Amino acid sequence: MLSSEEKLVERCLQGDDAAWEQIVHSYARRIFNLSYRYTNRREEAEDLTQDILIRIYQNLKSFRSDAGSFQSWILRVGRNLIIDHYRQTRRFQQAAGTEEMEGMNLKDEAVPSPQRVVERDEAAQFLRNGLQVLTPELKEAIILRDIEGMAYLEIAEMLGVPEGTVKSRINRGRLELAKLLSKRRAQLGWQG
Amino acid sequence: MNCPEIEARLSEYLERALPASEMEQVAEHIHECGSCAGLLEEMRSMLLRCRSFPVYEPDVDLIERILLRTTGRPRTKSFRELLGQYFLRPVLTPRFAMGVVLALMFIVLSTSLLAPRAAGIAAALSPNELFRTMDRGVQAIYSRGIKAYDKKNEWQAQFTFFKNNMFNRLGIMIEQLDVPQEGKKKSGEPRQQQEKAPNDKTSSLLLLPT
Repeated sequence: MLSSEEKLVERCLQGDDAAWEQIVHSYARRIFNLSYRYTNRREEAEDLTQDILIRIYQNLKSFRSDAGSFQSWILRVGRNLIIDHYRQTRRFQQAAGTEEMEGMNLKDEAVPSPQRVVERDEAAQFLRNGLQVLTPELKEAIILRDIEGMAYLEIAEMLGVPEGTVKSRINRGRLELAKLLSKRRAQLGWQG
Repeated sequence: MNCPEIEARLSEYLERALPASEMEQVAEHIHECGSCAGLLEEMRSMLLRCRSFPVYEPDVDLIERILLRTTGRPRTKSFRELLGQYFLRPVLTPRFAMGVVLALMFIVLSTSLLAPRAAGIAAALSPNELFRTMDRGVQAIYSRGIKAYDKKNEWQAQFTFFKNNMFNRLGIMIEQLDVPQEGKKKSGEPRQQQEKAPNDKTSSLLLLPT
C-alpha cells in the first residue's frame, strides 16, 4: 500500500506536473527555513532551496520508499547540498552578519504586536549569532532538534549517524550555546 | 556527581529523559550549585527561544522559478490570485477610481437636471394627455373659425351700410341738382321750403351711426 507521498512521487515520475507542484508547495517552506538557519542569509537560502528542489526533481527515480520516508529523503538531500555549499564557500564556521528582518513574512503568530515582533526578532538574532560560532556538527544538531523540532531517530537517519551520537552532539551544542549566550548577555548587561 | 558530570546530563534532565535516580541527583546538585543552576536556566531559556524561532515564508517568485526550471510550467494560481491579477489589480488603480468618481458625478448631475423634464415629457406623451391636447387644438381652431366668420359678417354689414349711405347721399345730391330746373318753371318759394324742411327720409339716414 503506497502512502500519499509515494503516490505523488509515482505521479511525478509518470510526468504529472501538478503532482510535482504539490510537492514543491509542501516542502519549499521547510527547505527554505532549513537553508536559512544554516546560511543566515535570505538570498543564499533562496538559491539553496531552488538548487535542492531541482536536484530532488532530477533524482526522484532514486527515491526508495523502503529506505525511509520521502520527507527524510528530501531533508537528507537538502542537508547534503547545504553542507556541500558551505564547504565550497568556506564560510560555514564563520560568524556571518545577519540580515535585516524587515520585509519577511512571519508565520508563527497571526497578528503579532510591533513590540512583540521587535523583541522576538532581537532574541532570534541574538540566538542566530550564537549559533554561527558553534562547530558545524553542533550547530546542525541544534537546528534540527531544537529549531526544526525533529526526533532523535529522524535526525540520526538524516545524518547517517547513531542516535547516541545525535544525543551527544545535541547536549554539547546546547551546553556550549548556553555558556556562550550567558557570557554575551553578561557582556551586554542584559537581563533574562 | 561533580559539575562536569551534571553538565553532561543537563540536556537530558531538561527533557526528563534521565532515569529517576539520576534526575534526583541532578536536582539536588542544582539546588546546591549556583553555577549549574544558572547554566540550566540559560539552557532552558535558549530552548524556549529556539522553539519560538520565526518561520519564514519563501517568496512566491521562488516557487515560480523552481517550477519553471523543473517542469517548465508556471505554477497554478489560486482563484484569489487570478481575481487579483485579472480584476482587482487593473481595477484598483487611481485612474480607475477617478473614472468611477467622474462617472458617478455625471450620473448624479444628469439625473438631477433631467429628471423633472423627463417626467414632464413622459406625462405629455401619455394617451390621455395627447387626446386632451388634440381636443384643445381642435377647439381652438374651431373658435378661431367662428371668430373669422363673425368678423366677415361684420365687415359685410359695414360695407352694405356704407354702400347704402353713399347711394342715398348721391340720390339727395342728384335731387338737389334737379331743383333749379324746377325753380325756373315756378317761383323761388318752394326752394326755400325745401331748404327749411329737408326730406325726412334723408335726414334720418344721415343721423344713423356709422
